[in-house]
Amino acid sequence: MTASASRPDRFKVFRAELGRALVALAMALAVAFLIILGTSADPWQAFSTLVTSPLSSNRTIGLWVDDVAKLTLTGIAFSLVFQARQFALGVQGQVYLGGLCATLVAMSPIGTTFAAIPLAIIAAMIAGAAYGFIPGYAKARFGASEIVSSLMLNYIAILVVNYMVRAHLAPPNTGQLMTARFPETAVFPAIIPGTRFDLGIVIALVTVAIVWFALYRTAWGLKLRLVGHNPRFAEYAGIKANFIMVSAMTAAGAVGGLLGAVFVQGRAFGQLAIDFDGNLAFEGILVAIVARNRPLAVPFVALAYGYLRQGAQLMGFRSDVPSEMIAVVQALVILLVASSFTLPGRRFIARLLGRGEADPSTAAGGSR
Amino acid sequence: MIDLLLAVFSTTFLFTVIRTTTPLLLATLGGLLSDLGGALNVALEGMMLIAALTAVIVSVYAPWYVAVLSGLFAGALLGALMALFHLRFKADIILVGFAVNILAVGGTVFALAMATGGDKGTSINLPSKAIPAIHLPFLEAIPLVGPVLFQLFSGHSTLTWFAGFAVFGVWYVLYRTPYGLWLRGVGEYPTAPEAAGIPVNKVRLWSLIGSGAFAGLAGAQLAMFNYVGFTRDMTAGRGFIALGAVLLGARHPVGALLAALLFGFFEALAIVMPNHVRWMPGEMIQTIPFVVTVIALILFSYRSRRASQLKTLTRI
Repeated sequence: MTASASRPDRFKVFRAELGRALVALAMALAVAFLIILGTSADPWQAFSTLVTSPLSSNRTIGLWVDDVAKLTLTGIAFSLVFQARQFALGVQGQVYLGGLCATLVAMSPIGTTFAAIPLAIIAAMIAGAAYGFIPGYAKARFGASEIVSSLMLNYIAILVVNYMVRAHLAPPNTGQLMTARFPETAVFPAIIPGTRFDLGIVIALVTVAIVWFALYRTAWGLKLRLVGHNPRFAEYAGIKANFIMVSAMTAAGAVGGLLGAVFVQGRAFGQLAIDFDGNLAFEGILVAIVARNRPLAVPFVALAYGYLRQGAQLMGFRSDVPSEMIAVVQALVILLVASSFTLPGRRFIARLLGRGEADPSTAAGGSR
Repeated sequence: MIDLLLAVFSTTFLFTVIRTTTPLLLATLGGLLSDLGGALNVALEGMMLIAALTAVIVSVYAPWYVAVLSGLFAGALLGALMALFHLRFKADIILVGFAVNILAVGGTVFALAMATGGDKGTSINLPSKAIPAIHLPFLEAIPLVGPVLFQLFSGHSTLTWFAGFAVFGVWYVLYRTPYGLWLRGVGEYPTAPEAAGIPVNKVRLWSLIGSGAFAGLAGAQLAMFNYVGFTRDMTAGRGFIALGAVLLGARHPVGALLAALLFGFFEALAIVMPNHVRWMPGEMIQTIPFVVTVIALILFSYRSRRASQLKTLTRI
């Protein structure tokens, strides 16, 4: 009831969740190792690249941190809608449209002034929010499944960006599928000169703080979580579920658009290219699921997952195992974390220790 | 514009519509089965992709029908996997579905690189086979309508004919056998069939397996007839469009057929248009199937919301 009683409880939940995530990660890595063993000529070298290479140089650490910022943002966007139990999967589309709008600002005359960075970010967030609003409104007003509509909007946004870059934004007559580099005033300044450690990570952490505050310290956040936990109760309590739903998707859309700005204005790009997100936007699903949609847990999950992602990319370059192998790890982690699995043989061990027969539910209940 | 209209009303265009509809229809029937069982199968896309690659690789070493069956089994296996995690380990079906999709996007590229020796884009170096077309020369002998019928119906994939009959088959199973009643009951109100002694989880398991099998056939058709060979991300959202078609088809096999035909029509239009409409950029033409899906979904949801509520859809 009281805060003091709930503290240790919360700690226990935290420990159980951490344990689950680690077990899932260990099992997924074991499977990854088996796959590498079966496909690589030099499995040990490939596997050690996967698990150690992100720390091998300053450059790779920079790449890792850069990924963490982006994964945090997409994870936050997915957490917001998942907390309201809406399966809007439109972050990718919001990223593309946000990136496009940020590019338009950065390449306009504003791009050379000091206002380039804030205005581009705001433009991207507005575009993302609008794009997140569409499936939300379509669901609230017409009852259209947000899963399908948000996925369709992703494809549309990617094609629109492809067209804009190819036909209008790329330097004419070069055949390039990217724009020229933005003026230096429109690119995020590096926090540590010479690396990719730029404003993106600061933006990501500030976003985490804001979203956490909105979800856990405001009436809107309480309503949102209630709608997600128990829509019927929320309805009886007089909460306008539709309004909450649409506003959650719109807010998540703004975060998605922000990620688009972080992508194109970050030091890694500083320009708009086609297919720039490298499927990262979708990986926010994994981050959000493992973090149990808790904003404060998202950066930590992003840290761990970004490491694995970077390791896989480097493994793709430096060994004979394609980096796409990591998809198996991703899928397994999602499956294991989303399910209330018990370790194989756990009940058996418990019985061996003489505890299983006394209360069989402890064996199964311990994992959830 | 006139020549586009002429092209749309030609038999060759209708032939293209039937070809583009086939994988959509098979996937939609798959989605229908699991949706009626109470589980929205968002993994149709991933199942199609994995089955397409499986079928292509198997077809290098085995006859075409073995390859098609292997695609079917790959899809069914994924359906069983989803059922395992959803029913046994209580994971959310949508998250499980997306795990399958994520596995498919990267996993197929990985497996493709392994099978071709490093090519991450296409299976062009693999001598994969195609599903044989069924030619019906006797149609031409019919007076008057013969040539039109011949152009429309001759030369389609074996799976196209199968898909057509499957619409009837699925309808028959759903509305004329006890299993169909069980399935619909489980999706509608699981407590009632449970009280009647019907094995609810078993029904759900088989609905997901059947769903995967149909999606697998859709993948095989895509990679062994519509295109011969595998390309990365070759499903290009067709699984999600099929999901839209399930919702659009009012959860009925005939509705599924009509919805799949609608989306197949616009996909065929997007194929034909670049030759006739020069002012419209190719990327914008490619968005047509997706835009149509969103609009159709919104219009239809609005109507059906007013008529009655779709139970599984409002719950999620």
